[in-house]
Amino acid sequence: MTIATDLTQLSPVKTESRFMNFLKKLKDNLARYYKGNPAAIIGSAIVGTIIVACLAAPLLTDKDPNRRVARGHQPPSAELWFGSTRAGKDIFSQVLYGGRSSLTVAFTAAAIATIVSLLVGVTSGYMGGKVDEVMMAITNIVLVLPGIPLLIILAALLGEVGPVVIAMLLGFTGWAWGARVMRSQTLAIRNKEFIIAAEVMGESKWRIITVEIIPNLISLVAGGFVGTTLYAIGAQAGLEFLGLGDASVVSWGTMLYWAQSSAAFIVGAWWDFVVPGAVIALMGAGLALLNISIDQVSNPKLRTGAYIKIWKRMKADVDAKRRGAKA
Amino acid sequence: MGFILRRLAFYLAAIFVAITFNFLLPRLMPGDPVDAIFLAAGGTMPPEVLAAYKEMLGFVDGPLWQQYAIYLKSILTFDLGPTIMLYPVPVTKLLSQTVPWTIALAGTATLISIVVGCFIGLFASYNRGGFVDRFVPVSLQLIASMPQAVTALFLFFIFAMILKWFPLGFGANPDLDPGWTWEYIKSLLSHAVLPMATLFLSMIAGWIFTMRNAMVNVLGEDYITMARAKGLSSRRIMTHYAARNAILPVVTSVAMALGFAVGGQIMIEIVFNYPGLGQTLVKSVGVRDYPLMQACFLLIVVFVLVANFLADIAYVWLDPRLRK
Repeated sequence: MTIATDLTQLSPVKTESRFMNFLKKLKDNLARYYKGNPAAIIGSAIVGTIIVACLAAPLLTDKDPNRRVARGHQPPSAELWFGSTRAGKDIFSQVLYGGRSSLTVAFTAAAIATIVSLLVGVTSGYMGGKVDEVMMAITNIVLVLPGIPLLIILAALLGEVGPVVIAMLLGFTGWAWGARVMRSQTLAIRNKEFIIAAEVMGESKWRIITVEIIPNLISLVAGGFVGTTLYAIGAQAGLEFLGLGDASVVSWGTMLYWAQSSAAFIVGAWWDFVVPGAVIALMGAGLALLNISIDQVSNPKLRTGAYIKIWKRMKADVDAKRRGAKA
Repeated sequence: MGFILRRLAFYLAAIFVAITFNFLLPRLMPGDPVDAIFLAAGGTMPPEVLAAYKEMLGFVDGPLWQQYAIYLKSILTFDLGPTIMLYPVPVTKLLSQTVPWTIALAGTATLISIVVGCFIGLFASYNRGGFVDRFVPVSLQLIASMPQAVTALFLFFIFAMILKWFPLGFGANPDLDPGWTWEYIKSLLSHAVLPMATLFLSMIAGWIFTMRNAMVNVLGEDYITMARAKGLSSRRIMTHYAARNAILPVVTSVAMALGFAVGGQIMIEIVFNYPGLGQTLVKSVGVRDYPLMQACFLLIVVFVLVANFLADIAYVWLDPRLRK
């Protein structure tokens, strides 16, 4: 609040009102997105809680995720909330600190993939002709080559891959589907009046793409980002579970790897893999809910549940009025 | 026909890219795979075998294009050399033992999930806003959002470790002789249930959503209104007018779904110790068995492309507009 008042004193009124306008618009948009959309509310709550918990790891636990703090394979207790691993490390602090690595990789990969898919999809859809043909041929080949086996081969040739390399690999292999979706949406709007108006006014192609087309793809970008994050979390966990990642880095995937390789199943230490597995599942559920809710906002036709009831009620009202008018 | 030929050309191009990729990658990486092979074999490999490997991997002396030609030839003649992991078993022989497991498992699971998914999607769109529409797709989506490795581990833990309903792993009971006996088939089936269930759970939601969303779009079309105006029964409209058109996007999304399924298949084979292609790939990576690794990768690519091609043929069969 104090910052806002400071701004009004320092800057001209116009800037301030524009800034407030932006905030108001953002607030309105968010309110519209969340209103009557339980999937969005629950999804954001889950994802938000996990992110905050991972960021606040040092406040929530005083144990070092890399140090031996107890005997091996201790069951969950008041002291060790989620038990300990075979090597006697605290699983609760491993989940929190490991989440930092896993989430950073997932978000970086998703950012890379979204940017590449946006660039390829929009350029190819807007330019058309030869550019479109070449770009789509490349996209289709990347799409049809199976991602995980490709990643396994790459990871094997690169040796034990750290989180940075995994993020890059996932980002640069996971963009193809998004590019196709963005291209078809670009094709759908490229002959609309506002684009033609901009062309007639002599706007540059670059400006048309960034100012006119991309803002109309925002919901697809958001959906693509969330979807790729979901894919990246799974793929990273899978690669590390197979032992292809750097096993000395604490992440949700390497936790699964250590649980598997220390035979947690056979000795009955279920918490060793149930905890990281459940966190990955929870994060996946949150992201999936976000994705569904974004779909429903960007394509109102697909809505289920309460929307249908409202629509049916409105239809019944209109029908009743019509009948009344006739009578 | 033109459509089929164009797709065929595209798949050939994709295979070519995969082969080139296989060829270039080891050359771009630091170190020579042949040295790694020598180390992996514990330094006990005779020099002539090593020379043969060099030749087979294309690491012969000479310009790059010549190496590439040799590599292409070795692939086209199925002369993939011996494995390192199980020296001197030929790569082709090892693969011919593992491939049937994977195809049977992944193929069945994919087909079942497509059929069941389409029916649930159809039903959900038919009863928009009903119980099934509101809860079934979303809850299955939540399950599908778990990585297959995690789903597999949970199913393994619950149904194989605790409840002991299903065996702990492998493709069939090793004590039984393979053959068409009832006992062996029963063992095959009970070993396949959990891996198949994992794959099924990870794929079904995608098909339901694709089908349902396609149906919702199709139901708004004029020809549906027309069919209704003609007084056709809802059932006939659903199956003969809407579903037939709504299934097209389902067929086009096969490309993405299959790549995803193959990735999941690998994790599943590791968790359930299933003797398929994915497990062979991971094992060969573990011991740096380059010939086997590359052959596995190529084979997986070929399978995905063949499945895509089958989907294309189905597309032509479903969409008369392409048959000109």
